[in-house]
Amino acid sequence: MNEKTLLTRRSFVTCSFAAISSCALAGPFALSALALPAQDIHGQIFKNDAPDKLWKWSHEGFLYRKLAGDKVMCGICPNHCILDKGDRSVCRSKVNMNGKLYTLAYGNPCSLNVDPVEKKPLFHFKPGTRVFSLATTGCNFRCLNCQNWEISQARPEDVRHYDLFPDGVVKEAISSQTQSIAYTYSEATTYFEYMIDIARLAKENGLFNLYISNGYINQEPLLELVKVLDGANINLKSFSDDVYRKLNGGRLNPVLETFKTLHEKKVHFEITNLVVPGYNDNEKLVNAMCDWILENLGPDHPLHFLRFFPQYKLDRLAPTPVSTLDTFRDIAMKKGLHYVYLGNVPNHEGNHTCCHQCGKRIVERKGYYISRFDITSGACSYCKTVIPGVW
Amino acid sequence: MKKTEHAIILLILATGVSSVVTQLLTIREFLAQFSGNEFIITLIFFNWLVLSGTGTLFARRTAILKKHMPSACTLTVCSLTLACLPVLQFFFIRFFRDFFFTHGTSVGFYPTLMFSMLLMAPYCLTLGFVLPYSLFILRLGRKTFSGTSIYIIDNIGDISGGILFSFVLIFVATPMQAFLFCGTVLIVATIYFCHAWSLSKPFWIISGILSFTVLLSGIFLEWTSIAPLEGMLETYKESRYGRVAVHKNKDQYTFFLDGMPVVSSQNELLAEEIVHFPLSQIERAENILVISGQGGIMREIARYKPENVFYLEMDPDVSGNMFRYGMITPIPGLQVIHEDAGKWLAATPLTFNAVIMNMPEPDTFQVNRFYTDRFFREVSSHLHEDGIFSFYIDGYDNYMTEPQREKISTIYNTLSECFSYISVLPAEKIFFLGSRKPIDTDIPKCLEKKGIDTEYIKSYFYGNITSMRMNYLSGLIDEKAPVNSDLSPRLMRIMYRQWFEKFDSSPIIFVILLTVSVGYYILRLSKGEYVLFTTGIMAMGSEIIIIFIYQTFYGYIYFKIGIIITLFLSGLLPGAIYGERFQTEREKDVLLAVTDGLIILMMVVLVAAISFLGAHVHHAFFLACGFIFSILCGFQFPLASRMKNNNNETLAAAFSADLMGASLGTILTSLILIPWSGIYGAIVCLLLIKLTSIAITARSS
Repeated sequence: MNEKTLLTRRSFVTCSFAAISSCALAGPFALSALALPAQDIHGQIFKNDAPDKLWKWSHEGFLYRKLAGDKVMCGICPNHCILDKGDRSVCRSKVNMNGKLYTLAYGNPCSLNVDPVEKKPLFHFKPGTRVFSLATTGCNFRCLNCQNWEISQARPEDVRHYDLFPDGVVKEAISSQTQSIAYTYSEATTYFEYMIDIARLAKENGLFNLYISNGYINQEPLLELVKVLDGANINLKSFSDDVYRKLNGGRLNPVLETFKTLHEKKVHFEITNLVVPGYNDNEKLVNAMCDWILENLGPDHPLHFLRFFPQYKLDRLAPTPVSTLDTFRDIAMKKGLHYVYLGNVPNHEGNHTCCHQCGKRIVERKGYYISRFDITSGACSYCKTVIPGVW
Repeated sequence: MKKTEHAIILLILATGVSSVVTQLLTIREFLAQFSGNEFIITLIFFNWLVLSGTGTLFARRTAILKKHMPSACTLTVCSLTLACLPVLQFFFIRFFRDFFFTHGTSVGFYPTLMFSMLLMAPYCLTLGFVLPYSLFILRLGRKTFSGTSIYIIDNIGDISGGILFSFVLIFVATPMQAFLFCGTVLIVATIYFCHAWSLSKPFWIISGILSFTVLLSGIFLEWTSIAPLEGMLETYKESRYGRVAVHKNKDQYTFFLDGMPVVSSQNELLAEEIVHFPLSQIERAENILVISGQGGIMREIARYKPENVFYLEMDPDVSGNMFRYGMITPIPGLQVIHEDAGKWLAATPLTFNAVIMNMPEPDTFQVNRFYTDRFFREVSSHLHEDGIFSFYIDGYDNYMTEPQREKISTIYNTLSECFSYISVLPAEKIFFLGSRKPIDTDIPKCLEKKGIDTEYIKSYFYGNITSMRMNYLSGLIDEKAPVNSDLSPRLMRIMYRQWFEKFDSSPIIFVILLTVSVGYYILRLSKGEYVLFTTGIMAMGSEIIIIFIYQTFYGYIYFKIGIIITLFLSGLLPGAIYGERFQTEREKDVLLAVTDGLIILMMVVLVAAISFLGAHVHHAFFLACGFIFSILCGFQFPLASRMKNNNNETLAAAFSADLMGASLGTILTSLILIPWSGIYGAIVCLLLIKLTSIAITARSS
């Protein structure tokens, strides 16, 4: 046998070290490139993704700043997208065309429906009425569990859409015998120009405007919007900035500011909080959230804890146990919040409204139907306590 | 045979057994950790073969380096690494899955490709390296030792591993127990090798003990490594068909199949829709057929007081756990049948008032069979005149994407080939109802007439399924969309598009990179290597096609599919032994051309059989086809690998060409040829590839 085939102490140590170190180090180091996106899924600007020319459904941006070198900065949401000529914003709706900011989502809704108002969910706003709901494409978040990812993560040019400018929307809403228009499904903030023009017309025609949003909007456009707003449902995705970054690609603070502004401006709004197992099913977080709500918004804004179901990319988690939602509801009510509901749990006690003063059940809901309604002139029919909301 | 040669042969056999078991378990692990669609299955297979082929090329490099002398020490380290690396690989997959990707999310094509390739690389590269390297060591003692013999020995190990896993280990062992068993065999073989080659005793004893410790740690940490972050792991079983697990979080039990939550003990609303949409339409409920289960459905079915309910569930572990955790409750007249639905329906004389199907999305060949015109016709032939067939696919909330529209249109048109009346309801899922009599879609009203009260439908139906939503859906159905058939699985193609769209991704970059790499690789191949490369493509391509056709016609029968795969491996052995007899250049050239011709002829026979006889072809035909294909492929290896000479470098290149061809054959056939061009198109493409091999052989001779 050749001497070189013998295992020497040195060769054994060398070979073992090489094998172990390559296994232990090479893989993880190479994979570190993949790890970065998992920490923060914040959306990025799409370079040179603007269409060659504007289309029929383009409209100059409502609020933006022109910067040096033909750049523009969108002022609608806290993403503050700075776009070079030909770039597209994070939400995919705005583009820089020759130094001007344009929205491509104006008059081209891709989804139109007439929904029960309870579906938004809004439990203290004209219960039992129907809402003309619309959306264009676009979102400033990247939620991994988005229910409407087909439109929220799409460009306006890439979907089938209706041709419906603001006056047409108002006509359709009236002809479908609805009392309100809801800006919903994708993210209403991303089609702000379209929304506010419809809302102004709707107001003139006696329709209500409902803003169903993630609340990721700057103060200036929000202050403009609240002038014509009648109700809102803002999705407080989590009370943790870390979870916002990991699951939604957004930040918590701007959303909290939106709540404060809506509260100050006395707009009726309700809060939804989706309880995602492993992320938001933390009692400490719920305690902190309720404390913040009580301190900054008071006890009267309805809070909906929603049950999570596997969706979109976040499809390998089990649904939220109903008992977790029960616990959270108890925590919130013990803290002093007056109206705490459970969503996505049909026919649960947490679907009904009980007067915060006398405790009697005053609105009983069976799915989207109101089987009992004991509110008279905005007050409990039993103890006459004023019930917050738009009745 | 010398003791040293004997020791190496044992080592190769043990490596073969261990590697096949590791390969099968790795595929299952990735299915459970990532996604169960055909893309992932193929991707893991592809990675395995490409990486092993690359490992073989490394061995070739060492053969080229004249200064390097093959060393028994290197082989010892490699073999011990192969013994314990599967355990580490599994822990790495499980740990890094949540480290690099957001917990609870699905992962797209490219991240899966990178992740799987990097984590599989240490094992597969080492594995690919070991086979030719073993030959180099053998040739230190006997220069004339035949390369084909190594190929044959490796095949014996592979066959044994396949049989051991498919017919024994899957029933009695968890992955870590399987690794412990195979790893121990490999460690013992390595120790025997060290002893035979008189390697330093203290070192092989220490290294053997260390490797065994790693294997043992797998057993102790197995349960912990798959426990969920939320709640606890209540049940875990590796069944024949995949990973079955039940997680408990507070008072909720959730049933997971291959890592995906499929049934929750607290989700009743879907059960109402699944059961009441179809059963609200029928007058009587004598015989109800349920194909695969969903939580809470039996309780809802019981409200119609059926005489017989036949519940078909292929996997006994699935139905067993559904009953155990109360997701499905026993009701009077219930019969549970563990058989493939297609096979059972073809054999039963029974007819039904309603057939309720709860199958996953058609994103694998196995599931696509339940969405084809042939299966729908089979169901229709087992329905009473006023009977109804119902099933559902994933829905959309407020906008239907283009692939979703195509999918719904294709299913609708396929269904309309067999039923006069079809309704599509956009509920929690998109429900399809097919019947020979008109369908009343006002479900709450139908239920009211029957006096059946519901919790969910009554309260939510009119709010969710509005006329506006119904009109939107029906208005988007394209009546010109082609139907989905067994031999042209159009739905799978659409599912692929949908999957890529979900991750905002496209396979084009991968296809371009693959094409360039394959082109570059082919240009560097010798004539013999090219023959082996195309034979590798043909072997894997034909294996996939035969399994696909077999389960289309006869249903998925675990043991028979296992036998087909085993036969595909078994034929290589006699083929290679026989091919070894022919030595002269002239003989080789002629025989290569002849076997290429026979491979093509076999494909033509296969096409003729499925075209003219269809499902009437006897089972044995497919088994024989598989065996003959593998004999021909095995026969070509010794001929092609000795086209020029019989040195180490040539042999390593031959092994590599075979593996690379097999990897390309896998990805080409599964992901491109069958979904895009159907079975016939796939066969024609494979034939064309093989014809190029004949042309090259003929020109050179």
